Amino acid sequence: MRTKTWAPYALIAPTLVLMAVFLVYPIGSVVYYSLQRYNVTQPWKNGFAGLDNFKQMLFDDPLFWQSLAFSAKWVFVEVALQLLLGLILALIVNETFIGRGIARAMVFSPWAVSGVLTTGIWILLLNPSTGIFQVLSEWGIGSPGTSVLGNPDTVFDALVVTELWRGVPFFAILLLADLQSIPKDLYEAASVDGASRWRRFTSVTLPHLKDAIILSTLLRAVWEFNNVDLIYTLTGGGPANQTTTLPLYVARQAVDSHNFGYGSALTVAGFLILLFFSILYLRVSKFGSRA
Amino acid sequence: MRKLLVAVAAAALALTACGSGGTGSGDGNVTITFWDNNGGPGRTPIYEELIKRFEAANPNIKVEYVGIPSASVQQKYDTAIAGGETPDVGGVTTSYLSNLVGQEALIPLDDRINSGPLKDKLLPSLVETVRQTAPDGKLYSVPTSGNMDIIWYRTDLFQQAGLEPPKTWDEFTTAATKLTDAAANKYGYTIRGGAGSVFQLITEAYAYSGVDNFFKDGKSTLNDKANAELVDKVADLYKKATPEADINNSYTQMVAQFTGGSVTMMHHNLGSSGDVNKALGDKVAAIPLPVGPGGKRTVVPNPTDGFAVFKNSENPDAAWKFAEFLASSESNSYWNEKVGQIPANTDVRSAAWIDGNKPVKMALGVLEDPSTVIVPAPVYLPQYSSITKTDSEPQYQKVLLGELTAQQFLDEMAKKLTEAQKEWEDRK
Amino acid sequence: MTETLIRPPVDTPPPPRQPTKRRRRAVAEEPGKRWLIHVPLVLYLLFTLIPFYWMLVFAVRPTGSTQLVPWPVTFEHFDTVWNDIGFGIFFYNSVVMGLGVLVFVTVLSVMGGYALARFKFRGQRLFLLAMLCSQFIPGAMMLIPLFVIFKGMGLLNTLTGLIVAEVAFQLPLSLILMSGFIRNISVELEEAAMVDGCSRLRAFFAVVLPQLKPALVAVGSFAFIGAWNNFLFALMFATRQDKFTLPVGLSYALGEFNTDFGALAAGGVVAAVPVVLVFAVVQRFLVQGLSAGAVKG
Repeated sequence: MRTKTWAPYALIAPTLVLMAVFLVYPIGSVVYYSLQRYNVTQPWKNGFAGLDNFKQMLFDDPLFWQSLAFSAKWVFVEVALQLLLGLILALIVNETFIGRGIARAMVFSPWAVSGVLTTGIWILLLNPSTGIFQVLSEWGIGSPGTSVLGNPDTVFDALVVTELWRGVPFFAILLLADLQSIPKDLYEAASVDGASRWRRFTSVTLPHLKDAIILSTLLRAVWEFNNVDLIYTLTGGGPANQTTTLPLYVARQAVDSHNFGYGSALTVAGFLILLFFSILYLRVSKFGSRA
Repeated sequence: MRKLLVAVAAAALALTACGSGGTGSGDGNVTITFWDNNGGPGRTPIYEELIKRFEAANPNIKVEYVGIPSASVQQKYDTAIAGGETPDVGGVTTSYLSNLVGQEALIPLDDRINSGPLKDKLLPSLVETVRQTAPDGKLYSVPTSGNMDIIWYRTDLFQQAGLEPPKTWDEFTTAATKLTDAAANKYGYTIRGGAGSVFQLITEAYAYSGVDNFFKDGKSTLNDKANAELVDKVADLYKKATPEADINNSYTQMVAQFTGGSVTMMHHNLGSSGDVNKALGDKVAAIPLPVGPGGKRTVVPNPTDGFAVFKNSENPDAAWKFAEFLASSESNSYWNEKVGQIPANTDVRSAAWIDGNKPVKMALGVLEDPSTVIVPAPVYLPQYSSITKTDSEPQYQKVLLGELTAQQFLDEMAKKLTEAQKEWEDRK
Repeated sequence: MTETLIRPPVDTPPPPRQPTKRRRRAVAEEPGKRWLIHVPLVLYLLFTLIPFYWMLVFAVRPTGSTQLVPWPVTFEHFDTVWNDIGFGIFFYNSVVMGLGVLVFVTVLSVMGGYALARFKFRGQRLFLLAMLCSQFIPGAMMLIPLFVIFKGMGLLNTLTGLIVAEVAFQLPLSLILMSGFIRNISVELEEAAMVDGCSRLRAFFAVVLPQLKPALVAVGSFAFIGAWNNFLFALMFATRQDKFTLPVGLSYALGEFNTDFGALAAGGVVAAVPVVLVFAVVQRFLVQGLSAGAVKG
């Protein structure tokens, strides 16, 4: 449908207006402040800083690199596991079985829980005196006082599981919805050709889901990269910065230390990294080219 | 499609054309906004009652209450100041008062206090801590409540173990160890290892060392050997007499463990009275922080609560009237009785409820004892929170994990504080 | 036609079971293999529901109690939440905000998604990239400039303002997802309808929209829940107590001097249960897209 019409522009116009009004100026201001010394607690020092913030970040701040590496690991593990579990769940609840409606609602229910509440619930659940490990140890499973968040060896896994709890439904809902648009005749044709179920999954289902998977993993990766509420509340980035992501570091700089200049520079760095990653990801995955 | 376009354009216009409503009114009635810096089920009802009383006494002033969750209050103030939409009156503590003063958001209250009924009625020590936060030495908040770091302990568990509440740090560590039965998930103590950890650690260190000044000859005393000793002592307790989870503990996690029953002692301050009493009733009591080998009682005061009037207020007189009302003896008594803190209004000192409130009485006893040395932390330094929170909290966790020595940790922090102090002196 | 992809044609004998366990299709015809659905589902449900149980327990047992099966239950925390914190108005605000965002995001993302999926136009890639970019900056860093914009437009302290801001932030994600869904719908039927004399708009309503039902449910519920759970904007762009939303109310229970797990949990029940119930009703439309009768043969 190649067409030279104003229709697509009219369709995206409201979106463009909204983005122009609400996103251009804030993003621009972040870029502007990244070039400034800007700390509300020391207004007398504020002023143009050139690239100083970036120099400090690149050459004089090991925590920047450390948090960036942790962010990369966090995003990769989270998105991969969320996708895998979400896909399995979508396939399961797409089946016919008794109580499917209820099961679906329950499987998806963590999605309905706000960040504040998610962290609140998991604080209680993982706390060694009010949580699940206390109950398990009373039943003779595991040892009392187990603290998965306090132990440097388990804190990463514990955070991953917590984030999976609320992240998997995103993929499950999305992929379940996308599964519905696979034309029946594709499966029939494959069956007639004698394709096994696994073959049909890999040759019909997966290619069909491909675009949805590429988009949802990309969007989710960006979301997981930027989102801080869970780690911030559960570990605060600790112990000893082991779970500090880049945006969490930004939050500590901007919110706790009121250092908006440096925080903005870190944000700009995150922005550029995500931009590079997104373009690369869309190129490599050949988004939009149908099998 | 064209209709759609028109509709979109109209919507965009409507979005941009919305005018802003005014707040003033011509009939002599004014509305002021009040931000509670600790909004929540514990304190909101107290203010609602006080506002009701105030409005009954001042029918032409209406107070609009806004509760800000304490974790977001600084962000909220920063945003509001940058956007020029501050409240008329706001609850503030000295831990971020200097930031608000630095952003020139508040009006000084000295003259108003001295020309009204509050003159000479406020605890001088609290007034002093507020005054110190401003470079010009003016009062930018009317102090209403003092707070002190204390150890909450479980009276029933101490009794069961046949132990007396500890008075010195040695007794404290012994008790903490004795009260620990890791196999049963029972611990003597809980360390605050996460958000807010270093604030508390500093009070513990000075209580132990007896060092009586935060700076000596412009140099921070934080890395004093005795302070490092204390940090070592606390770190030694970690995982032995305290839960492993402590390393990430913010107040929320700490209080969950204490009220959940697996911990016998918790270091916090009078402000948690409501939370611990609600969960543990009469099974909980308070003692001052233990003293060190020198036996001298040194107290790093907890931030002072108060109310500030914001510069952008269109009705500063009405705003002050409300702040003054909150600091008046009757309101001050009501508020502090409900939350269990130290009233700043000296008229309240003789109120009957104080005798019945053991933690407050104990704290007053400590603070009014002439032999007690008060060591104010330099919360007036603009970098104080950045140094002691953002930079140092992860480092303290390294100490707990055994990756950094206490002395190295304190040296690092002391160096930054000394630099910040010098900068502060130079600017004065 | 609902379960097209799981049910092999009846006349084909079921192919031999594959060694991999990931295939759980067609078990409906193989009663012996039902555990392939049930075991992972039950395990996952345990994982999902245990945290909810924890919330429920804290909501109905007295503060300080450690009973795992609380009895008798207390409703004092609900009283705290409703009367001391004033959840009623927060609830109302969240509902209004959720519905407003749901409507705008869904409509605008269908429009924009259709443009991306069905047209090739100049600046398309740039538009896509710009939308992605809009997601690259954490909201916390945009607070102050956004606040200034809000103030300039008189949107502070209005639910309209919150809805508009939330729409602006959610739209890029929803629009991109929606374009993916629309791209998956066969173009031929739509073209056939247009050849039959339908306008593009009529073809869209007659052919595309019915097939889009699962997508609408998915994107719509994302939008609703995103708004329902909005914390930062609601807290920062409202300076009146009666304009706050549920998550602000919840965060009251986690303060330095106000940690009240009972209230948090009770508030959580109030905030989560209605959404889960509504979702239980609408989830059926997630899979009814094709059976709605849009596709003929």
